[in-house]
Amino acid sequence: MTILLAADKVSKSFGGVHALRQVDFELRAGEVHALVGQNGAGKSTLIKILSGALLADTGQISYEGRRVHLSSPKVAQDMGIATVYQDPLVYPELNAMENIFMGRELRDRFGHVDWRAQHQRATQLFTELGVAPTFLLEPMGRLSIGLQQLVLIAKALSYASKVIILDEPTAILTQGETERLFTVVRRLRDARLGVIYISHRIEELFAIADRVTVMKDSEVRGTFAAAEISRDRLIDLMAGHVARAEMQAGRRIGDPILTVRGLVVPPRVKGVSFDLRRGEVLGMFGLVGSGRTDIAHALFGITQPSEGTITFENADVSVADPQDALGKGIAYLPEDRKAQGLFLRLPVRFELSAAILRWLRRFLGAVDRAQEERTGRDLVAALAIRTPGLETPANALSGGNQQKVLLGRWLARQPKILMLDEPTRGVDVAAKEEIHDRIFQLAAGGVAIIVISSELPEILKVSDRILVMHEGHVTAVLDRSEATSEALLRAATGERREYAGTPA
Amino acid sequence: MRPGAFLLRLASTDRPRFLVLVLALTFIVFALTTRDFATIYNTFNMTQYGVEIGLLALGETLVIISGGGSIDLSVGSVLSLSGVVLGMLTMWLRLDVWVAAPLGVLSGGALGALNAFLITRVGIPALIVTLATLYAYASAALVLTDTVPISGLPQTYFVLGQGQVLGVPLQVVVVFLPVALVLHALLRHTVFGRALYGVGTNEVAARFAAINVQALRFWVFTLSGLLAGLAAAVMTSRVASARPDAGFGYELQAITIAVLGGTSIMGGEGTILGTILGVLVITVLSNGLQLAGVHPIWQLGAVGVVLVMTVLLNQWLARRRLRTAPRAA
Amino acid sequence: MRALPLERPGTPAAGLRSRGAALVRSREATVVAFIVLLGLYLEVATGRFLTLDNLGNVLLSSAGTAIVALGMTLVILTGGIDVSVGSMLGVVSVAVGYAAAAGWSLIAIILVALAAGTLLGSVNGVVIAFGGIMPIIATLGTLNILRALTFQLLRAKWISDLPATLSTFGLGLALHVPVAAWVALGITLAFLYLAVRRPLGRHIYAIGGNAEAARLAGIDLVRATLFVYAITGMLVGVAALIYVGQTGIVQSNSGVGFELQVIAAVVLGGTSILGGRGSVAGSALGAFLVAEIKNGLTLLNISGLAEGMVSGVLILLAVGLDRLRARGRRA
Repeated sequence: MTILLAADKVSKSFGGVHALRQVDFELRAGEVHALVGQNGAGKSTLIKILSGALLADTGQISYEGRRVHLSSPKVAQDMGIATVYQDPLVYPELNAMENIFMGRELRDRFGHVDWRAQHQRATQLFTELGVAPTFLLEPMGRLSIGLQQLVLIAKALSYASKVIILDEPTAILTQGETERLFTVVRRLRDARLGVIYISHRIEELFAIADRVTVMKDSEVRGTFAAAEISRDRLIDLMAGHVARAEMQAGRRIGDPILTVRGLVVPPRVKGVSFDLRRGEVLGMFGLVGSGRTDIAHALFGITQPSEGTITFENADVSVADPQDALGKGIAYLPEDRKAQGLFLRLPVRFELSAAILRWLRRFLGAVDRAQEERTGRDLVAALAIRTPGLETPANALSGGNQQKVLLGRWLARQPKILMLDEPTRGVDVAAKEEIHDRIFQLAAGGVAIIVISSELPEILKVSDRILVMHEGHVTAVLDRSEATSEALLRAATGERREYAGTPA
Repeated sequence: MRPGAFLLRLASTDRPRFLVLVLALTFIVFALTTRDFATIYNTFNMTQYGVEIGLLALGETLVIISGGGSIDLSVGSVLSLSGVVLGMLTMWLRLDVWVAAPLGVLSGGALGALNAFLITRVGIPALIVTLATLYAYASAALVLTDTVPISGLPQTYFVLGQGQVLGVPLQVVVVFLPVALVLHALLRHTVFGRALYGVGTNEVAARFAAINVQALRFWVFTLSGLLAGLAAAVMTSRVASARPDAGFGYELQAITIAVLGGTSIMGGEGTILGTILGVLVITVLSNGLQLAGVHPIWQLGAVGVVLVMTVLLNQWLARRRLRTAPRAA
Repeated sequence: MRALPLERPGTPAAGLRSRGAALVRSREATVVAFIVLLGLYLEVATGRFLTLDNLGNVLLSSAGTAIVALGMTLVILTGGIDVSVGSMLGVVSVAVGYAAAAGWSLIAIILVALAAGTLLGSVNGVVIAFGGIMPIIATLGTLNILRALTFQLLRAKWISDLPATLSTFGLGLALHVPVAAWVALGITLAFLYLAVRRPLGRHIYAIGGNAEAARLAGIDLVRATLFVYAITGMLVGVAALIYVGQTGIVQSNSGVGFELQVIAAVVLGGTSILGGRGSVAGSALGAFLVAEIKNGLTLLNISGLAEGMVSGVLILLAVGLDRLRARGRRA
């Protein structure tokens, strides 16, 4: 067996935190090698090192038997290692064919762009992939994400790549698109290329992979032939055993404050029903693209559902926009802190008061500055936000403190329902604990809380009940007593089992 | 510290302070080289020329701060057209001029609101909308008057643009300073101002923080029109007639002044104080050059030079800061 | 315009449609339809539109705008803008005027115009590419500076009574069609060739579409930026030759407001002000439409003063309909 690409005892750490520890990995020609593990297990760091986006601290990378130094993505690309990322980098206005050749146009002897040759070559590439090239002249922006991915795979082939890395390619694909992608991947394998395939979806791995490498806690837990490992064993290796905190004393869960029935939010949420009670922490678990965030957006008025009813405090309601949601007492901490959350350049004082401007309005629309500062100081103290002062711009704070600022903004509203989307992403361990404690305190105070998270330990730790989603449907609602990491992973990968409280 | 390094630091940390310095230097240079410049009469008198362009620049400041590519190219044409409206109401409909003037100002607001509607409701980029209305409003002013300035307005009205209080032009005291103060308060001390900087800095975050982005932009463009209408009322009084081409070319000057004053074209940054200093620098420069016998056209050229140099310097300093920052941390 | 040889596909469909798709082509078709319908209406209403003389006039008055609009299209495609072209036209016209008045040969005058234009455009390019200044700010600055320079060069006078050296450019006919229009057509073809066949042309589209992806693909952003502003300057040089030849006079306000006409032509032609999408042929058609409207107002005895209202409303209609169409598609 020819070994195409290998990592030998590769380690990498960021600021003293190990992201990879002595990792061995090898990719053979003519195999599809799946790389699995939970978020934070180290998959993406390994991929970045293999694709030249990061340099390893120690250890060696070899390619076709020779030791190599992958100093940049370009170097890796020129050697024949191509990576197709989850969010494709495309030129939306240019057609698919141009997207393949941009920057490395085929030229005739006058230096012209040779459209005929490009068209032929593109047709040939897609024929090799077993895809009818009917969309070559469509603007890229009008192709589905699935087709865009195929175009990028064709692009990778166009520079004679031998290794193709697919980073969670199916996370946002439909069933049909996934099938088509599998056909393409099998053809690549049959053409003796090596494919590294990263995915969360266990059942997929058995359909497509020849070998599977499992990562957990920055280490490789083993590499197995796909035919020789069971699904249960794989989940066990990925999940490990997560210690669960005991339920806090003194918490009393009350009546439902929010009842959702048959909620449809195009394109991803396809009919979701659940209840949320006062004083309860409801976890929402599922893969990226399973529709968790879309539900929160619909409840916050960012998007509009096409079907379904929302009952809030015993009355049917619709949420027109975020102002409306906040007026009702529904708050949402968005998942992307930098793009959707913070203003960054503005002072912490403003970040904290942005959602309560209406309450600070005095005569002639003036802001009650004293009240604003009082609120700011109270929140900084209550959340133990480490900042030089209220006038410091938010981007000068650490990730954890930025997140606490954002949390503070919503606490200032004293919401009845607080939805937290990935509340501890990119946050250090200490801040994470503080945020979790704060969630418990709020729940004890009667606030109904939804926590959306991709991290199993976090979901298991904070939730009273856990709603698991898969492709726009709820596949399980688990009580704290029956929630295990295995059960969650099973439900999140589409396995539907009857649990107590699962809506029909 | 070497004086050069000191200047650089000043410019990089605080645009208003830098402009005060530029202003002082310009003033001193003209005072030493140009006769009649540093007289009390001239110093006060020249401020009247800054009022109209200053009002436009203030509107432009609000618009540009609101971000998302917001810009108002139509302010000059709004000035022309609302001046014509004022003139027509007075001379053709025989309204009292003190009734017609506020209506003229409001007509500016209405023209601004039309821009705002097309931008926020129809969803056409601001650059395109205001480019189109720049044409349309200017042309409407010409068609309505058949290019003939409307004159013969009542003498009493001229006090606004030609009167003085203690040697200071009346329009500075009763129009520009109050408006600037109100806008300063609006930006610094009101909910509207907070939301404006928020939207300009990060539109998505503002939306998630339940700030009504479209409503805000609507008001900003409407205000810009209103201020252009006010500028028209002042100018009509100062030149004693409503000229249909009164605001020709003013849009570019207004934008220039706003940017010179530290308003970032990317949105989210800018102050009223900065814009006022920008107006002062431009006014002193123009006046000084004029007294020195340089043709008025060079006032514009000087504006251009000052603009490009200021922004280049700013860029360079920002990059230097970026490069040196990690070492400091 | 149907017979443009370069738009005829080398590869069936590919050469033609590759320019960025049906979207753009449909927009060009819209502009052509506008031109034809307006033309028919004017002919029926006045009986004076479809005469050789009148069509020649329309072509002549659209030539300069069309030529500069081609360069502006590239600038806007990269996501930039150049509002200094009017002032540039002023400065280059002064240079051309002095050269002509001094009795220089036609070739020499042409070289002066092209060199001066390219130089001024390159200044914009350098300031934007190396100075990192937003294009709108940089060219706003040069707009003011160059306008002052025009005035300074003329020293409060104007140049007139020029020798006939340049009148070919402004008023000459070849095959009953103004020479200026032939020049515009030739340059349009050259730009189509650039935009469709040359890698650089494609890179310009890529930069406006996704600058980060273009950088990662190894496309030289600085080179492309310099190129688009310099070439726009050069085209202003050509427009100045036509302008001076046509009017026979150079004044300190020559070219004032020209930038807005040019931008209007580009926007009418379907180029997105946000960059990445548009077509050079559309811009040339847009320039023709602007000139046709102006001509129509004259023929209909409507005051030329209303021209701004008509083109303003037209721009809003064209772009507004595009927006609504885009929304319809997404839904």
